[in-house]
Amino acid sequence: MSLTITCPLCGNRNGYEFRFGGEDKGPRPGDTEMSDPKIWCDYVHMNECKAGIQKEWWCHKDGCGTWFCINRDTLKNNQRSREGDSEI
Amino acid sequence: MFGRKKPLWGEKPPLSSGYDAVIIGGGLHGLATAYFLAARHNMKNIAVIEKRYIGFGGAGRNTAIVRANQRTQENLPLYKEGLELWPVLTKELDFNLMFYNCGNLNLAHSEAALKAMRLQTASAQFHGIDIRLVDRKECKELIPCLDISDRPRYPVYGGMFHPAGGIVRHDAVVWGLAKGAAKHGVHIHQGTQVTAINTDKGRITSVDTDKGKINTPRVLNAAGAYSAALSWHMLGIKLPISVLTIQAMVTQPLKPLLDHVVSSGMYHCYANQTLKGEIATGAHMDPWPNYTNQNSAHYIKHQAEALGEFLPCLRGVKFMRCWAGLADMTPDMAPIIDGNDPFQGYYTDCGWGYFGFKSSIVTGKYMAEYMASGQCPDMLKPFNMRRFENHRLMGETAALVNYSPDN
Ligand SMILES: Cc1cc2nc3c(=O)[nH]c(=O)nc-3n(C[C@H](O)[C@H](O)[C@H](O)COP(=O)(O)OP(=O)(O)OC[C@H]3O[C@@H](n4cnc5c(N)ncnc54)[C@H](O)[C@@H]3O)c2cc1C
Ligand SMILES: [Zn+2]
Repeated sequence: MSLTITCPLCGNRNGYEFRFGGEDKGPRPGDTEMSDPKIWCDYVHMNECKAGIQKEWWCHKDGCGTWFCINRDTLKNNQRSREGDSEI
Repeated sequence: MFGRKKPLWGEKPPLSSGYDAVIIGGGLHGLATAYFLAARHNMKNIAVIEKRYIGFGGAGRNTAIVRANQRTQENLPLYKEGLELWPVLTKELDFNLMFYNCGNLNLAHSEAALKAMRLQTASAQFHGIDIRLVDRKECKELIPCLDISDRPRYPVYGGMFHPAGGIVRHDAVVWGLAKGAAKHGVHIHQGTQVTAINTDKGRITSVDTDKGKINTPRVLNAAGAYSAALSWHMLGIKLPISVLTIQAMVTQPLKPLLDHVVSSGMYHCYANQTLKGEIATGAHMDPWPNYTNQNSAHYIKHQAEALGEFLPCLRGVKFMRCWAGLADMTPDMAPIIDGNDPFQGYYTDCGWGYFGFKSSIVTGKYMAEYMASGQCPDMLKPFNMRRFENHRLMGETAALVNYSPDN
């Protein structure tokens, strides 16, 4: 299904202009923590795969190049302003 | 199945309060494991719990292609045995699975692609798999309607032909396995959802379903695209999986013109002609995770353009139907198969992406052995979950592709 995403700089655009950047996993662990294979692996590979609204990273790759976070409903493929909010 | 006829897998069984093993998911992997547990390991008290109906997931939506031309040492033996099992299973189940070994031709559109295929061919041949490199002229002999001129955007340089592969009727596999499993006493509970997995002191004790609680010492997570969400939600275990929608479609029926499965990584497209004459085609995955099962105009256009490029005789042909399913992709495009970790009695068989049909029978066979004995068979050992932590990913992808968020 078609998806549009609102870039904070360019506004609402076709989803194919963007690159999905993964689930939001909080701040990147520090360098010493990252040398622990478990922490590194969790941060890099592991996902919740939420069937519902999740917070995630996107990059406007065919536009201004900005990285930003949005909430998106993975069951309906549409952007939400915040968890629990209606579609924007 | 209609009117007064009984389903092939028997009337609705009662939900017992206890089973020796509970299998979550009535897809290919769940049904195959249940069948082999009952037929080969004499475990008769088994339940397959399916929240919709059997075959609802990837099992009933795939494009039914089977092959054993993978790249890595770990994957090749599994798929080789998987391919050899179709005729065996057809006899064993006494059910026509319609295995049609028409062969698969992968096209190369550059010297670099040919070089990668050279390595892939050598690896497969090392395992005794029937496969060879072909030049551009031989591609044309295999598929006369292929455009091998310099006109297409990506001209054909050659390819890799794997005569032993082909297609199998996927619905027949679902029905045949369900019938076989039920005959050996397996209870197939459709319209029943597993809502929780319960443990005590590091062991599986029971599962909750929307129809009641079931005590069991063994659970297999074979929930396909939902396996990762289920594992996180019910047991707090995150999996390295992304769930992407994958689309497919068929054209109107045509006279016979395509004798083999043909695929092109460059055009991101594969196609074969069904026995009804339709060209079945697919390959595109949404580049962002979603559970929608929906088709997109973007992709229908892509598919028409791609097919029209290397098979120009298909220009103007109409698509008749399209559909989509979900693929649970791992970063190295190999599955996650594990057991008794971190809970005794908990088994995982997921992360099958878009290759879980061809692997279903052979994995079910070994998974049943694993669940019956508690010992992981050598064949399945490389696919354990710890490989991600140990940084031992398998290189199943020849080149980085754009459709998994991990690449
Ligand atoms: C369009 C498309 C084309 C494909 N083409 C090919 C191909 O050509 N060759 C190939 O090898 N593979 C192909 N695949 C991949 C293949 O179909 C899948 O990998 C395979 O179906 C996975 O099998 P499975 O048993 O793991 O999961 P599924 O068949 O998806 O079964 C999982 C089942 O679990 C059920 N379930 C989920 N959660 C619960 C719960 N909580 N309780 C109870 N039940 C639950 C679901 O309803 C579902 O029926 C394709 C897939 C798609 C979508
Ligand atoms: Zn922008």
